[in-house]
Amino acid sequence: MFVFDPYSPEMDSNPFPAYETLREQYPCMWSEQARMWILSRYDDIANAVQDWQTYSSAKGNMMDELPGRTGFTLGSTDPPRHDRLRALIMGAFTKKSLEYLAEPARKLARQTIDEFAPKRTFDFVTDFSSRVTVGTLFLMMGLPDEDHTTVRRRVLLMIQSDKATRQKGPEHIEAFQTLVDYVRGQVAKRRLAPKDDLITKLIESEIDGDRLAENEIVMTSMTLIMAGVESLSSFMSMMALNMHDFPDARRKVIANPELMAPAIEESLRYNTSAQRFRRVLMRDVELHGQRMRAGDFVCLCYGSGNRDPRKFPNPDVYDVERRPQGHLGFGGGKHLCLGTAMARLVTETAMREFFARIPEYGLTIDKLNWTSSTTFRSPTSLPFAIQ
Amino acid sequence: MSIFGRKEKATATVIYVSPAGDAREIAVPVGDSVMEGAIKHGVNGIVAECGGACMCATCHVYVDETFLNRLDPMEATEDEMLTCTVSPRRPNSRLSCQIRVTQELAGLIVRLPETQV
Repeated sequence: MFVFDPYSPEMDSNPFPAYETLREQYPCMWSEQARMWILSRYDDIANAVQDWQTYSSAKGNMMDELPGRTGFTLGSTDPPRHDRLRALIMGAFTKKSLEYLAEPARKLARQTIDEFAPKRTFDFVTDFSSRVTVGTLFLMMGLPDEDHTTVRRRVLLMIQSDKATRQKGPEHIEAFQTLVDYVRGQVAKRRLAPKDDLITKLIESEIDGDRLAENEIVMTSMTLIMAGVESLSSFMSMMALNMHDFPDARRKVIANPELMAPAIEESLRYNTSAQRFRRVLMRDVELHGQRMRAGDFVCLCYGSGNRDPRKFPNPDVYDVERRPQGHLGFGGGKHLCLGTAMARLVTETAMREFFARIPEYGLTIDKLNWTSSTTFRSPTSLPFAIQ
Repeated sequence: MSIFGRKEKATATVIYVSPAGDAREIAVPVGDSVMEGAIKHGVNGIVAECGGACMCATCHVYVDETFLNRLDPMEATEDEMLTCTVSPRRPNSRLSCQIRVTQELAGLIVRLPETQV
């Protein structure tokens, strides 16, 4: 009997064979291990992200939710409140308003490469992607540079789940609470002395004349930090891994840097960082012969929808010239990733610098270690040797 | 009515004009959005990353002035999202996912901006 267990280590390292079984044999499956329904076909997921009245986010969006988050972040709020909050924050995340980050991101990328390149071996995750992304995010949020390491460590802990108990463990919740306290402190500081940064902007924002609630500011900032530290860095690492695994694709991109943007889209399709998010049903739904009940949780398996041959022909082929329109690498619908422009800008800027200096590189280990997470997927380190 | 008795879905023509001035006439089913009409027929220049949820400002169009007052007025979210477009917002800027095609809008002309992302 086929079992879909998002807590198993195989799901962290290579979920794609299980996704195929889901799509072809159990397109609407109740997972006892996840305690929710699993949707794996592109059309079903694309429909669910549009139909927020049926597939609500109001009971959280992470597969294993963190305490006190739900209802205070964009991803765990439904319209109309969501739309107003989103439109307000989106102003800071447009391509135009992010232009000021391109040069600092480029400098940061150059500086980190200068540091590790002479060693000839390096870890792409700790030496490069996390440093560039956390640095850029901290600049945007106005957070002090000396907190990079501790903030990142806590984010990496809080996104994990305990495999034995199939829920967040005390260490994950503690990391989250400590980071909440830290962000609360940062908000308090800005109330006393406003700065030119995103946290101050959240404090000063109004919806129909009302300021955002304290918890909304704190939890929204937390989500931005989580996304910036985890998703962005992980995505960049996944792209470096794709470019390692498919050297012809890498050489093509290096020879023609115009292909960097479509290559980013293909990596988003091929192995997005956010593999699975969840919704809760607001009414009974019949799908593929199954009856899902109001109140049931549903997992939207973006990573599987992106490999659905009904939508993307030859889905397991990594093709930098595919230009996959409608991919679910950023989710979709009301909760489409807020940071799309930022992810594209920082990844393109950093990877261009990286390839300019390090066009050829190889893994120094045979087996990668993967983050233990039901929501996100990424290698914990990518030890490369410069060739 | 078709010969099989199935009711043909009513359509209305929407004209999409590229930044270079090339026009494409599409018969869009009444009730669909102007964005959907473009995506389903592969009109370049509309991205619609969020798929029609009024959340990404990548289906931005400039509506021909003669049609402007025939459109339903925009809601607060569309107005706020229009401040996030990559190409400049003008008085006739709208998000095409928020324009429902009706018979009254037949012949609607929308001009596509230089870029959406």
